[in-house]
Amino acid sequence: MKPLAGVRIADFTLHAAGPFCTHILSQLGAECIKVESAARPDIFRKPHPVYGRMGPASFDQVAANKLSVRINLKDARGSALARKLVGASDLVCESFRPGVMERLGLGYAALAALKPSVVMVSVSSSGQRGPDSHFAGYAPLFGAWGALGYLTGYEDGPPVEMRHVMDHSVGMNAAMVAVAAVYRLRRTGRGGHVDVSAREVACSLVGEALLFAAAGGSPVRIGNDHPRMAPHGVFRTRDEDRWLTIAVRTDDEWRALVRLMDTPHLLTDPRFQSAASRHEYRRALYGEIEHWTMTCEAGAAERLLQAAGIAAHVSCNMEDIAHDRHLRERGTIVEVEDMTGHKRAALKAPIRFSKSDVGMTRGTPRLGENEDYVFGELLGLSREERQSLMDQQVIY
Amino acid sequence: MMDGAVAPLLAGVTVVEISRGVAAGYAGRLLSTLGAETVLVEPPDGNPLRREPPFLPPAGEASALFAFLAAGKKSVICDSGTPGGRAGLSALLAAADVLVHDLRADERASLEVDERTLRACHPNLIDVSVLPFGAVGPKADWQAEEINLIHASGEGFLLPNGLAAELFPDRPPLKVYGHFAEYQGGVVAALGALCALIGREHGGGESVDVSVQDAALAVGAFALQRFGDGSLEHRRTRSFKYGGVLECADGHVELLTLEERQWRGLVELMGRPDWMLDPALSDSLERSRRGVEINRAVRAWALGERTADVVARAQALGVPMAKYASPAEVLSGAHERARELFQPVEIAGAGSLPVLSAPFHVDGAALRLRAGPPRLGEHQHLLTAGHQRDHLRVAAEAS
Repeated sequence: MKPLAGVRIADFTLHAAGPFCTHILSQLGAECIKVESAARPDIFRKPHPVYGRMGPASFDQVAANKLSVRINLKDARGSALARKLVGASDLVCESFRPGVMERLGLGYAALAALKPSVVMVSVSSSGQRGPDSHFAGYAPLFGAWGALGYLTGYEDGPPVEMRHVMDHSVGMNAAMVAVAAVYRLRRTGRGGHVDVSAREVACSLVGEALLFAAAGGSPVRIGNDHPRMAPHGVFRTRDEDRWLTIAVRTDDEWRALVRLMDTPHLLTDPRFQSAASRHEYRRALYGEIEHWTMTCEAGAAERLLQAAGIAAHVSCNMEDIAHDRHLRERGTIVEVEDMTGHKRAALKAPIRFSKSDVGMTRGTPRLGENEDYVFGELLGLSREERQSLMDQQVIY
Repeated sequence: MMDGAVAPLLAGVTVVEISRGVAAGYAGRLLSTLGAETVLVEPPDGNPLRREPPFLPPAGEASALFAFLAAGKKSVICDSGTPGGRAGLSALLAAADVLVHDLRADERASLEVDERTLRACHPNLIDVSVLPFGAVGPKADWQAEEINLIHASGEGFLLPNGLAAELFPDRPPLKVYGHFAEYQGGVVAALGALCALIGREHGGGESVDVSVQDAALAVGAFALQRFGDGSLEHRRTRSFKYGGVLECADGHVELLTLEERQWRGLVELMGRPDWMLDPALSDSLERSRRGVEINRAVRAWALGERTADVVARAQALGVPMAKYASPAEVLSGAHERARELFQPVEIAGAGSLPVLSAPFHVDGAALRLRAGPPRLGEHQHLLTAGHQRDHLRVAAEAS
């Protein structure tokens, strides 16, 4: 049994962050009903040439495992139908700009008046209130607002833009707090409104640097360096664009690394005698390590280092990951069939329970694919009522 | 906390945390900030993150990382090498709902927190393991730090993109600042704990296995989908065709126009220069093809702009643009202040400082940080029998 079995979500989220939240919740057992319309489909069903691709970019990744219905929310009868769906749901998730759900008659106050136990999760770029709450944004902007983008980069280079991992970090935070709200609902019967701010998620990922700055410190971009560890970095290997990451934490690990590299002179080099000194001379040290890694096949070196107790891993591309035995054995990566019948690697929600189940049971729904079940069985609309609403472009 | 105000989401939940790393520490921190009582169990010499730089100026005594992760938690010392220490831990677990830890499989039995012992002694306890590669699988006992994990999950290979990749095409790939992958592990571990708490109603306690690699890979899922589409993503080719990081007169901004109306807003923002009025550029595919040319002009224009002014004008025109804010700018931001993102707490050795609470509001308000990080063993009294009874009573009342 999945842990969230019996939880139903009326899902009004769009784009990436909000849909990823409900996608994860659906894999954990919630029944997720995605609401769109032909007039305003999720824009991520469409291609985005700014990415340089002609197909829909990320839709399958976040829409899989959901049910789909069409409701034209701009029509008052559509809004009424959506409220009926909320009445049959435990959780409402949305990611419009703040104020849009209110204008559609679906704001938290209206929905709580209809159903006091409703839990609503709103995901937005800057939160529901505050002077910037009207700001438009996407993942790279969240990272920019939240100092994560400012702090990421080579020490002599510009800030770096965060991509989909930023959206999905927001979605994962939203899923976590949504389940916390469901937990209170189950215990006390009390609903509530959760307001997730994407730029604050970016801040939370550098919470310690923000505290350091608050005390008067000046956190800056440090590339691949670490405030304490050296060697610590990403090293070239003998093969083009094949990199190896190494982090040495202790003196014992340092000596083990020197043995592996067969470079005993480094043990007597005065620059590398202590952890603090190795850190001070980390640039020179980097060259010494890379001299060795340049002779190595990355995977073989990774295994040698791990056998010696040293933290090391190949810099993986997605082909490595799709075929990775560890990830397959854990069930993190599963094989799914897409709409055209092709098999491909996909990710299961990243939690293994000793008793509960988790995972996908269906693929990406076609727009309006599940209306017989949702409008017919759940909401009890007759065939005639549904036809009439379709004729009036309310179910559209 | 119940006087008139709405109870926090996790009121009445007790969490015991045995951690040495960031991921487990962040899981405990999230649950604590959501209202659970989180008790950090430390060895006699303290949680190792207490000794992790950077240290907060001017005294240089308190670790910024530990202070952030431990704010609001309680601290007890349990020496696992002594029967008394283990008995203390067992007493804590008897009153707890959740154990979050990053103990390796071979360390669990000696602490009597292996799955079999926990099910037998504490059948309703949820135990959440959060390890670099998880508790199960061929790499379960592998060593890893953040830099290894962000590359094991694929995102490291894909950074930097945009301007930094253009400027330094031959440099090694770049990690995200700080502990990005490990924080993802923390969020997922908290999510796992909460799901198991809900599942406990019908199935009793269970064990939850979270891997930092899995968690970081989950948020990078899109690149795996692209691989299934037949496209292997690479840091040098995944930049936006135009926009991205722009250097201004006094800092950097980010610009991203995905929708047609946003492009039209950008044309307005840049003062309708002739080249932008080329009818061919009203086609988004054509803009994508001519991205390099567009970017050259956009970058030249941006150099003459000041960040605060151009972002305000852009947002008024519906053009998605943001300043790359420094930590100091975030701390003093009017928006962050209005939302009480940072709350002052007392940090031993550093004084009262604003610490980030949580990236969400619940019931219309920021979550309250109840305290700063605890002193080592500050709450040792929690191990006394009398308190255990109080603890059980509080838990019973809350449910």
